[in-house]
Amino acid sequence: MEQMKPILSVAQLEKSFGGVQAVRGAEFEVLEGSITALIGPNGAGKSTVVNLIAGALRPDAGQVHFRGVDITGYKPHQVAGHGLIRTFQISREYPAMTVLENLMVSPLGQTGEHLFSALFRRGHYKSEEREFVEKAIAILDEFGLYGMRNEYARNLSGGQKRLLELARAVMADPKMLILDEPMAGINPALISRIGEHMLRLKEDNGYTFLMVEHNLDVVERVCDHVVVLAVGRTLAQGTMSELRQDAEVVSAYLTGGSVGAGTKG
Amino acid sequence: MAILIGYLATLGVYFCIYNIFAIGLNIQFGYAGILDFTVITFMAIGAYMAGVGSLGPAQPGTEIYYILGLSLPWPLALILGAVSAGVLGYLIGLIALRRLRSDYLAIVTLAAGSIIYGLVGNNTKIFDGYEGLVGVPQPFNGVLNLSPNTYDLVFMIFAAVIMLLLWVLANRLYKSPLGRAMRATREDLDVAEAFGKNTYRIRMMAMVIGAVFVGIGGVLTIWFITALAPAGWGTSETFVVWAALIVGGMGNNKGAVIGSFLVAVLFNEATRFLPSINGLPSLIPEIRNICIGALVILTLRFRPQGVFPERKAKFFELPLTGRGREREHEVVVTGAEE
Repeated sequence: MEQMKPILSVAQLEKSFGGVQAVRGAEFEVLEGSITALIGPNGAGKSTVVNLIAGALRPDAGQVHFRGVDITGYKPHQVAGHGLIRTFQISREYPAMTVLENLMVSPLGQTGEHLFSALFRRGHYKSEEREFVEKAIAILDEFGLYGMRNEYARNLSGGQKRLLELARAVMADPKMLILDEPMAGINPALISRIGEHMLRLKEDNGYTFLMVEHNLDVVERVCDHVVVLAVGRTLAQGTMSELRQDAEVVSAYLTGGSVGAGTKG
Repeated sequence: MAILIGYLATLGVYFCIYNIFAIGLNIQFGYAGILDFTVITFMAIGAYMAGVGSLGPAQPGTEIYYILGLSLPWPLALILGAVSAGVLGYLIGLIALRRLRSDYLAIVTLAAGSIIYGLVGNNTKIFDGYEGLVGVPQPFNGVLNLSPNTYDLVFMIFAAVIMLLLWVLANRLYKSPLGRAMRATREDLDVAEAFGKNTYRIRMMAMVIGAVFVGIGGVLTIWFITALAPAGWGTSETFVVWAALIVGGMGNNKGAVIGSFLVAVLFNEATRFLPSINGLPSLIPEIRNICIGALVILTLRFRPQGVFPERKAKFFELPLTGRGREREHEVVVTGAEE
């Protein structure tokens, strides 16, 4: 099995929007080198938890630790700087940039992003730039997007945009990826291909994944570990087959939030 | 003949100046997507600060008041103007860029511009209020002793050199990874942020660099016409720069050039020297505004990307080895799409 060290741990996370308490004490760990699924009925607070981890929202209470560092309240770009990259629920490519350029944005801490180098010392980033192009080309080839590299990203099909999102994240060399519904709205053939890519990245590159997903078949096939959220708290954890036995989980999916509300207090 | 040369030189100077404005706005909006609706304020601050930098101290008893009056040599005055515009860009950026999205940001820039306009106009002690600065010394003029028309020609070359310099820098910025990061923030702020870009800092850089460019254009303006009053930098002037960029094409500095030529030179400035029609003194300016507005509408309707649209980025690539595998992948993708 994988190393059993947690790479990400979320403790007592809370977040309210006005009177709505979206997350009330969610708590779970993601083990390094695992593919962990975050499931739960609509309104369970999955996306809010993702946003809290990634720094897009600030938690009212609780902590997020990533690779031993307390990243609670970090800005999104600081979280990314620590090697934790997230994708969004809807594909959000850079539409008016080419596919290759979409990837070229990704590498962290580029020399040519310093103003002085950008304006006066182009020699400083030329060789780095060449390496990035080579790397981007190799990644595009892996994802079957090589032929589209000089196309504007907005011209890709929905499925290709999903692949581009993943390719763009790989280009950033992350330690961990948080994917918010990566399989939403794509056909079964592509779903299994994205699943294969995730397994390959886990095996070959040692990536850790946290994936919000509704398709339980995919979760069963791809994920090592599943965290169930309901009404903003962790309801259950375990492997998919363990959870299928769990009456509470089944009823949370069937009856929405009522189970969580019943166990409140 | 001399008059014609002087006329063309004047248009040439305006071309260079508007070109600098358009490139500055292109950095702010075309690169980084910052809706700056107060471009002309940066021009004014650059111009005023260079003006009070070049002028001698205000003489008591003349009823003309302004701050500083440093009698600086022109390069220092230029730097003073450029830096002041940059500082103003930074201050407006502090308010506008931290958390505001494009539309609110536009409102903030518009409001900041109005505040500064009122402040400069009503406060006679800063830049002599609505009277404005006059008699600003021109660079080289004291040394060269030229006739006005010849001086205009010299100044045109001077402005062209500065424009070329800024053009080269703007293009370098565009092609650099920093420029790429700016465009990524323009395309999707949240995604760029999630990919580790400090979007606030990146947009602030675009804001300040653009403001400095426009400020330098302002310095050239006040040197060329030797005077500046608030009437010369109303909100409508901002619109002319925007029109130039929209018509020429955003995100491409070539677009800024052709746009400044079409809008700023052919319509806005060339028509200023037409003799006014008897009895209808405001006819030509009104037709001019109609023409510029129509040009913008026609561009947005028929060629929204402008005369020179943004180009795809080109990268130096080595040929890919193992093409066979790639083709196999593509088959899977196209198969999966059906």
